[in-house]
Amino acid sequence: MKNRLKVLRAERDWSQAELALRLDVSRQAVNAIETGKHDPSLPLAFRIARLFDLKIEEIFHDQA
Amino acid sequence: MTKREATDLDQPQSDGVVMIKRALLGMGGGIFMIFIAGIVAGYASVVIEHGGPSMIDTAILAGLVLAMLVTGYAMWRFWPGGKSDPVGPRVKAARNILAVLMLAGAFLGVVLGVAEESSGAFLSNAPVSAALATVSIAIWLIAVPVLTWMWWRRVDEHEAGAYRDGASVALHFYFFIAPSWWMAARAGWLPAQDPMVVLLIVSLAWSIVWFVKKYL
Repeated sequence: MKNRLKVLRAERDWSQAELALRLDVSRQAVNAIETGKHDPSLPLAFRIARLFDLKIEEIFHDQA
Repeated sequence: MTKREATDLDQPQSDGVVMIKRALLGMGGGIFMIFIAGIVAGYASVVIEHGGPSMIDTAILAGLVLAMLVTGYAMWRFWPGGKSDPVGPRVKAARNILAVLMLAGAFLGVVLGVAEESSGAFLSNAPVSAALATVSIAIWLIAVPVLTWMWWRRVDEHEAGAYRDGASVALHFYFFIAPSWWMAARAGWLPAQDPMVVLLIVSLAWSIVWFVKKYL
């Protein structure tokens, strides 16, 4: 699954560590989500969406 | 304000490289410190058997302890990756529990290592004292499961996934290795199966997969 996390993070001038701190996950988790190695669960996807004040589908989208 | 590029905000070194450096320094320093601790224990026991330490013995023992302290300080001072990033409460709790689990494992390893020194074999099946068995079982059967349960309640989903993938691969390793070794031993090709060696292989496979999935 592709996502705009890296772009959204850069727009806010946040490092991976800063985003991880805001989501209370490890920096490795943020990195894995950004690079598409890990698809977040629905609860985490909702937390990410709330943090950026966006809808889930505005951040994550299917590769197809 | 000019926005920094996202890549500029990432870590300069990949997690995998930093973790490999940490593992090498940790293992090297740890083995050296355990080696010195063994010399201290052996030297002290000989000194006590011969009626107590002289000034020279005390100086030698103090020098060895100092070498351990300097090694510990150097490891802390030159630890790869420098200062850790600030982390959230759940991540911090999970890390702390993992550190306690590692310390418990290291303590168990040192205790077993000292106890098995006389047998001259790694993970031997030689008899042990009731005290050693009690301490080992208390750690392995009570402390480790409780800490593991606490860790599971706090760990983030990415690491939990890495851990589950490792568990799956480890179980497959066990499924393939145990019956094959058992049959090979019955045919006389291998020595009798040792459950602790199988556990070691399975644990190693688990750890490698966890490391790769989490950091690489």
